[in-house]
Amino acid sequence: MTKAEFESVVREHQGLVYSIACNFFHNEALAEEVAQEVFLQLYEGHRSVATGSHCVAWLRRSTIHRCIDTVRRASFRQEVHMDLLPEIPVDAPETDPLLQEGLRRLIASLPEKPRAVMVLRFGEDMDAEEIGRTLQMPVRTVWSHLQRATAMLREKATRYLKEKEDEPIRARSS
Amino acid sequence: MNQFERDLRESLRRREPPADFAAKVLARTRDTEVRSVFSWRWLAVAALVALMVSGTLFIQKQQQQVENERSKEQLMVALRITGSKMKDVQDRLNAIQQRMVRLQGIQ
Repeated sequence: MTKAEFESVVREHQGLVYSIACNFFHNEALAEEVAQEVFLQLYEGHRSVATGSHCVAWLRRSTIHRCIDTVRRASFRQEVHMDLLPEIPVDAPETDPLLQEGLRRLIASLPEKPRAVMVLRFGEDMDAEEIGRTLQMPVRTVWSHLQRATAMLREKATRYLKEKEDEPIRARSS
Repeated sequence: MNQFERDLRESLRRREPPADFAAKVLARTRDTEVRSVFSWRWLAVAALVALMVSGTLFIQKQQQQVENERSKEQLMVALRITGSKMKDVQDRLNAIQQRMVRLQGIQ
């Protein structure tokens, strides 16, 4: 692979790699660093991949594993307690930036494996089998992570709704 | 797909990296190449030094072996000479002894 070909691969897939890292960390600087390292890894050791049909799969796999490794190495896990998160207005319009920000922070606070599953499922639109292959885990485990993580996120949203409903009653009683 | 999943999908939508992302990656590949060239140079220098050291050691060993062989030969020659001298002395002693025995017989 020539340098020009590598450059075109970077330009073509930079959004994919950066998005996975950014959605995983919810930290743009760290996402950029990790995304650059993935492309450097491609340049240094896996140039044959870039010209083949497995390029996207390789980039997804390398990025998500590097994200997981980064968290494990640096104990970077951002354990955000659910109560400390900004409340998520689930009934808000789809483009509500508060809703998006709240969900992103909440996803970034998940443990590595469920977080990786959520990012690949909802960010990359991959099915459970593809995610299983990428993360080298059984499909059943993928489903389990998906269901538990989604349930946890939904619980937070539901709690918020309930608190919103109770608010007028509490205000009246006080 | 329900509304909540749509929200998740929207939160995790594709994002574009900073405009200079590709330029930064390419700059880092250049740095890597420079480092790699330097490391190859150091490797070549190290290999050359190792070759010179091992060559010198080999030559020294060869010289030592030649020296040992020469010493061994000299020792063998010296032993041969000493052996022949000893034999001469032994022969003379035997001759003297025989003469003495003969003289005692005459007396």
